[in-house]
Amino acid sequence: MNEIIALLRPRFLSFKNTGDSRSAGSRRVRYLLFGAIGLAFWIGAFLVFYRVLNYFQGIEEFGDVLARKLLSMVLLTFFSLLVFSGIVASLSKLYLSRDLLLVHSLPVSGWKIFLARWLESTIDSSWMVILFSLPVFLSYGIVYHAGPFFYATAGMSLIALCLIASAISALAVVIAAVLLPAGRIRTVFVFFGLLLVIALILAFRLMRPERLVNPENFATLLLYLREMGTPGSPFLPTTWVFDSLNAALSGLKGEAFFHLALAWSCAAALAFVGTWTAGAFYFRGYTKAQTTAEKLFPHKNGPREKRNPLIERLSGPAWAFTVKEFRTFFRDQTQWPQLFMIAALIVIYLYNFSVLPLGQSKIRTVYLQNIFSFLNMGLASFVLTAIAARFVYPAVSFEGDAFWIVRVAPISLKTFLWVKFAVYGLPLLILAEILIVSSNLLLQVTPFMMGLSVVTVFLMTPGVVALGVGLGAAYPDFKSENPAQAVTSFGGLLFMLLAAGFIAAVIILEAGPVYQLFMADYHGRSLSVLHWTWLIVSFALVLLLCILAVVLSMRLGERRLRG
Amino acid sequence: MIELTDLTKQYGSTLAVDHLNLTVAKGEIFGFIGPNGAGKTTTIRMMAGVLGPTGGTVRVGGIPMATDPEAAKRIIGFIPDRPFLYEKLTGMEFMRFVADLYGCGDDLFQQKAEQLLIQFSLYDWADHLIEAYSHGMKQRLIIASALLHEPRVIIVDEPMVGLDPAGIRMVKDLLRELARNGTTIFMSTHTLEIAEDLCDRIGVIHHGRLVALGTTGDLRGTALLQEGDLEEVFLRLTGKEAP
Repeated sequence: MNEIIALLRPRFLSFKNTGDSRSAGSRRVRYLLFGAIGLAFWIGAFLVFYRVLNYFQGIEEFGDVLARKLLSMVLLTFFSLLVFSGIVASLSKLYLSRDLLLVHSLPVSGWKIFLARWLESTIDSSWMVILFSLPVFLSYGIVYHAGPFFYATAGMSLIALCLIASAISALAVVIAAVLLPAGRIRTVFVFFGLLLVIALILAFRLMRPERLVNPENFATLLLYLREMGTPGSPFLPTTWVFDSLNAALSGLKGEAFFHLALAWSCAAALAFVGTWTAGAFYFRGYTKAQTTAEKLFPHKNGPREKRNPLIERLSGPAWAFTVKEFRTFFRDQTQWPQLFMIAALIVIYLYNFSVLPLGQSKIRTVYLQNIFSFLNMGLASFVLTAIAARFVYPAVSFEGDAFWIVRVAPISLKTFLWVKFAVYGLPLLILAEILIVSSNLLLQVTPFMMGLSVVTVFLMTPGVVALGVGLGAAYPDFKSENPAQAVTSFGGLLFMLLAAGFIAAVIILEAGPVYQLFMADYHGRSLSVLHWTWLIVSFALVLLLCILAVVLSMRLGERRLRG
Repeated sequence: MIELTDLTKQYGSTLAVDHLNLTVAKGEIFGFIGPNGAGKTTTIRMMAGVLGPTGGTVRVGGIPMATDPEAAKRIIGFIPDRPFLYEKLTGMEFMRFVADLYGCGDDLFQQKAEQLLIQFSLYDWADHLIEAYSHGMKQRLIIASALLHEPRVIIVDEPMVGLDPAGIRMVKDLLRELARNGTTIFMSTHTLEIAEDLCDRIGVIHHGRLVALGTTGDLRGTALLQEGDLEEVFLRLTGKEAP
C-alpha cells in the first residue's frame, strides 16, 4: 500500500506545487474563467432539469414514468461518457505517459503500478461527470422532496458507477494492449471510444427526445410509454444505480441498499479482476506498446518529388512547411478519429434542421425559416469555432520540440503563420460554406438569406481561423504531451471567448438592418434613407471587423512568438 | 554480477538485439559502445527491466529479471539516456519519491540525500522546482537519485550528456570509486575517450550483435590493427572508417 501511495505522491505534489510556479497568475485567471463558465453551465443544467421535471410532474399518470425514463437515459449517457473517458485516460496513464520509463525501472510490481494508475485515471475521467451530474440529482431531489438519504445514495451510487466504468475501461485497455498490433493501440482505442460516443449521440438524437415534451404526441406515444416502463437489463450497472436511486426517491431504504450493494460489489470484483489481469499482462502490453510501428508510409517518390502545381508558386521554405503541415496532419493517426467525430457532429447538426417542427408553429413559417437561417449563421460559426479550437488553435503548439527548425529556417515567422492560416483556413471555409448552404436548403430560405449567409460566413471564417492561429502563436505550449488539449489553457479559452464575441458582434451588427429589410419586403414597402444608411454602415463595420480580426490576430501571434 | 544469455529483441521485422551473451563481473566498469541504432539502448532497457525481451534472459546479482523483477531492480541504479523528471516536484521531493519506492528508511534517506545533493552541487537547489533546473542539473539529479539506495549495479546510458567538464570529472571519479568498492557499472557511451579512460572492458555492438569484447588492446587485435586508439578500432569494427 505504501508503494501505491508513493506512486501517487508526485501527482499530488505537482498539483500542490503548481500554485508556486511562475505561471500562477495566468492560471488563477484561467481557473476563474473556467469556474465562471462551469458555474453558468451548472446552473443552466439545473434549471433545465428542474423545469423539465416540474413539467413532467404536471402530466398525470405518465409524469413519473417520464421522469424515471429520463433518469435512466441520463445514467446511460453518464456511463458511456465514463467508459469513453476511462479508455482514453487509462490508455494514457498506463501506456503513453512520459514518466513510465522511470516508474517501470523502480522496484515496484506491475499490479501496483496498474492500481496507482487506475486510481489516477478514475479521478481524471470521472470528476467532470460527477460535477455536472450533481445538478441533475439535485433537481430530482428537490422536485421529489427527497431527504438526505437520496443524496447520500446518489453520491455513493455515482462513485460506484465511476469505479465500474473506469475498471471496465482499464481492463479492456490492458487486455487489448496484449492483443492489438504494436503501435496501433492508441489509435484503435481512441477510434473505438469515439465510435461509441458518436453512436450514442446519434442514437440519442434519432430518438428525438424533444417529442417527449410535446403533448400532441402523447396519443401516439402510449405504446412507447408502456415500453419505457419496462426495467433495464438486470446485468447493467446503470440498472443497479437507477434502481437504487429510484428506491431512494420512493423512500425504500432496504431496496436502495440492496441495489447499491450490487453496484459496489461489482466495482470491488472488477478492481480485483483488473489488478490480477494487470499482474499477468500489463508489463507485456507495456513492452509491446514501446515497439515502434511498421513503416506505414514507405517513401515512394524519392527526393525529386513533383511539386503540386497549386502550391508551386510558393517560396521554397513556405512550400516545405505547407507540405510538412499536410503530411503530419494526415499521418497523425490521432487526428483521424477526430475527423470522424466532426463528420458525426455535422450529420447531427444538419439532421436537427431537417426535423425542425416549422409547420407546427403558430408563427408564420416564412418568418421562422428566416429567423432560423439567421441564427444558423451564428450556430455554424460556433461549430466552426469548436473545430478551430481543436485543430487550428493547437497548430503552432503541434510543432513541439521541432519548433527550433522554424526559428532557424530562412522563413519569417509571418510566413510561417500565414502558411498555417492557409492550410487550415481553406478546408474550414469550404466546410463552413457546405454547412450553411445545406442547412439553408433544408430550411428552404429565401435567396436573399442564402446569399447573406454565404457572404457572412465567407467573411467570418478567415477571422475565426486567424484568431486560432494568432492566439495559438501568442500562447504556444511546445512542451505539451497532447497539444490538442491546449484549448483548455488560458490562451485556448481566450480564443473561444474572442471568437464567440467576434461572431456575436457580426450577427448583432447584421441583425438590425436585415430585420428592417425583411419587414419592408414583407409589407411591400421600400427602405427609408435612414435604414439604408444603417444597413451600409452596419455591413461596412462587419467587413472592417472581419479584416481587423484577421490582421490584428496574425500580428499579435507573430509579435508574441518572436518576443 | 550481470549475465545476459541469448538476449534477443525484435521490433516487428527488425532484429534490434540478436542473441547477445555477456557477463560482467562484480566491481567491473564495462563500456558498451556501438553506432546509432546498434541496439545499445534496447539492451540497456532490457537489463533495467523496463522492456521485456523477445528471447533470452537477464540476471542481475543472480536474480532473474523475468521472474523476480522487483528484487532485481532493487539492486540496480538505472540512469537512462533521456531521463524523465517530474517538473513540478522539487529536487528533494523527487529524491524522496525515489527513496520511498526503493524502501530507504528515513534516517538513511536524510543522510544520503544530503550527502549526494552536496556532492552533486545541488544542495542549494534542493527546494526549487525541477522545472527551473538546467539540463546539466537535471542530469546530476538523476544520477544522485540513482545512487540513493546504494545499488550493487549501476546501469547508465550516456552518463556525461549535458554535464560540464567539472561534472564529467566528478562523475568519472565517482564511478571509479564505486567500482573500487564493489559496485558493477554497465555504461553505454558514444564518447570513446571516456570508455577508453574508464572501462575495464569494452563491448562493441553492431546490428544487434556483439562484434568485439575485451580491453582496448584486445579490441585492437580483433580489428586487426597494430596501433591506434579506440576510435580507429571502433570505426574498423563497425565498418565506418573513412575510405
